[in-house]
Amino acid sequence: MSLTRRQALKSAGAVAVASGVAKPAIAAKDPIPVGYLPALTGPSSSTGVGINRGIQLAVKEINDAGGIDGRQLELITRDTQSDPTKAVNGAAELTRGQKVSVVFGPVNSGESLAVVPLLARTNTPQIHPCWVDSLTDPQKYPMCFRNAPTNQQIGGAANRYVMDVLKRKKVAVISDTTGYGTASVNAYAPMLKAKGADVVYQGNVDAANPDLKPELLRMQSAGAEAIMPWSVNAGFLSRIINTRGDMGWDVPIVGQTTLGSGQTKALLEKPEYWAKVYPNNFRPVCYAPGGKLTDRTSAFLDRLKSAKIDMGDTLLWWIALGYDSPRLIAEAMKSVGTEPEAVVGYLNKLKGFPGVYGDITFTTDKHDGYPDDEIVMVEANSLKDGAFNLAPGYSA
Amino acid sequence: MVESIVSTGVAIGCIYALIGITYNVMFSASRVFSFTAGTLGMLGGVLGSLFIARLGLPVAIGFLLALAGGVLLGILTEIVAVRPVLKSLDQHLYVLSTLALALMVQQFTAIEWGTEARPFPRLFDIARGGFDQQFWLPMLACAGVIVGLELLYRHTLIGRAFLAIAEDTYAARALGLPERSLRMVSYALAGAIGALAGFAGGEMLLAFFGNGPLLTFYGFVPVALGGMGNNRGAVVAGLLLGLFQQTANFLVGGIFASVAVFTVFIIVLLARPEGLAGAALQRRV
Repeated sequence: MSLTRRQALKSAGAVAVASGVAKPAIAAKDPIPVGYLPALTGPSSSTGVGINRGIQLAVKEINDAGGIDGRQLELITRDTQSDPTKAVNGAAELTRGQKVSVVFGPVNSGESLAVVPLLARTNTPQIHPCWVDSLTDPQKYPMCFRNAPTNQQIGGAANRYVMDVLKRKKVAVISDTTGYGTASVNAYAPMLKAKGADVVYQGNVDAANPDLKPELLRMQSAGAEAIMPWSVNAGFLSRIINTRGDMGWDVPIVGQTTLGSGQTKALLEKPEYWAKVYPNNFRPVCYAPGGKLTDRTSAFLDRLKSAKIDMGDTLLWWIALGYDSPRLIAEAMKSVGTEPEAVVGYLNKLKGFPGVYGDITFTTDKHDGYPDDEIVMVEANSLKDGAFNLAPGYSA
Repeated sequence: MVESIVSTGVAIGCIYALIGITYNVMFSASRVFSFTAGTLGMLGGVLGSLFIARLGLPVAIGFLLALAGGVLLGILTEIVAVRPVLKSLDQHLYVLSTLALALMVQQFTAIEWGTEARPFPRLFDIARGGFDQQFWLPMLACAGVIVGLELLYRHTLIGRAFLAIAEDTYAARALGLPERSLRMVSYALAGAIGALAGFAGGEMLLAFFGNGPLLTFYGFVPVALGGMGNNRGAVVAGLLLGLFQQTANFLVGGIFASVAVFTVFIIVLLARPEGLAGAALQRRV
């Protein structure tokens, strides 16, 4: 059968029309690519491993419930291996190669310091949970949001606990000599003084120093009523706790979350030395007096247990933070679609997003969404199922 | 205060002295300062904790396996980082090659063992307090090594061969001594001494990958002060360093203690570049 030119043109036109009609229908069902930059391996991966458990559960729940207007969320993961260079490579590939709609992560500040400026140039909305203050700036990085506290908030909560709850005025502030440690002491000691505290000791000590007795004796002779250590080094923190115990000095230790970590616990000379040690944590994922969690968190724990997610080797707030992040992204996309400007516009007006980890609020001028009053101190020796008891003095 | 300065100062000084001896044993056999000395100390603590605390092996077996790990790294240092650069000693390429190997081992330890300090097991089931085992174990290890090396060097044939190599490599080789094998054995011996330093000091320093650079730097001070290749000088300088450091911890504290140590170090070297116990080098003209 011969084909005339007119018939051929008609057929081609029909195919073109058909494909033109069909294409948007297929695109509407395409998965939505979400970039994800966790540190799943390497030296700083414990946070990322915990967060990842929550993320995977949330994405599964969102997709099982039909996704976002029928489109599945597709998590495109690039393990940063705790390495800022690999985080930058991963971010570049996610935005240029995979054309993701939004990026969650990195989850460690060192990696975020490298990635945030890069993503700002690619017009990609970003949500991260890193604490370093400079990692959000609505002017420099208008598409970058933080669904976790800043270092200022963390230090502020510890200072409030020491002064307003424990009523201690003479405070010793100590850190190791890392950038984090020295920056924390330099930031928090003036905050304490501004609140009317007498900072009787302020020092940075090499974390590898095996004997901290001289430092604690100096604090004691200066009349310190509370010790506030700022370090993520479990060895350094455990030496402070052990030395206090060996000296028989009954002074509270209030500070960094690592004070309550399993690594710190493992280095204690006696288990009872962990008493009166109060690390930072977050009220929604803590046991109130009487051992109760909030209804929202209890329901979340049930979901974790039914999904057989292990909590014994991680912290509940890491999993909760991971769980909230894709839900926040999905909420934005359900409301305004996947266009970057629309997602950012939605987040800029977000008010009280009900997360398990905390209620998140952003404004155009403030991209730090975690509320001050949900940052609390807890009893380090009360860890159970990844969560702690609120420190004494907090109401239910 | 004095009791704390003496017990902690002498104990930490003994660890520095042992690392100094590790440097010296390697130096005597090859004229190379191997910067894997501190890494060997770090590895002794990490392997001790791994074998005894994590794998639950008996203390004696864990101890021997930790020393064996040090011996292996010592031999590896000789093969990978020292032997290839011996022909161009004057270019000091060994600084790069040994430092590179030390960094590789440290990073590998960080990845496999973790970046957090982990507990080192109590070696003897004795109640804590007073002059604790964490203080006397490094002292015992240091005394044992000094006596052992004296016996080895003075009363055994292989010890005398070590001394001959250290004195004049070319003359020793001309006499038929197997220089390469002796060098290898020296590095193995240094590996065991370095690992012993970390193992004996494990309760003080913990099993921590970051102890490598600390021991590399502080262990080098006794060598420089005590005279290169001079073990007695290293022991005396190591003990003085430990005591001075701990006194500075009490008197000035914080990071200023480290500043005080290195200020004295620099002043001593300016006054006596050959070290406190070293002999001035005769330069051939």
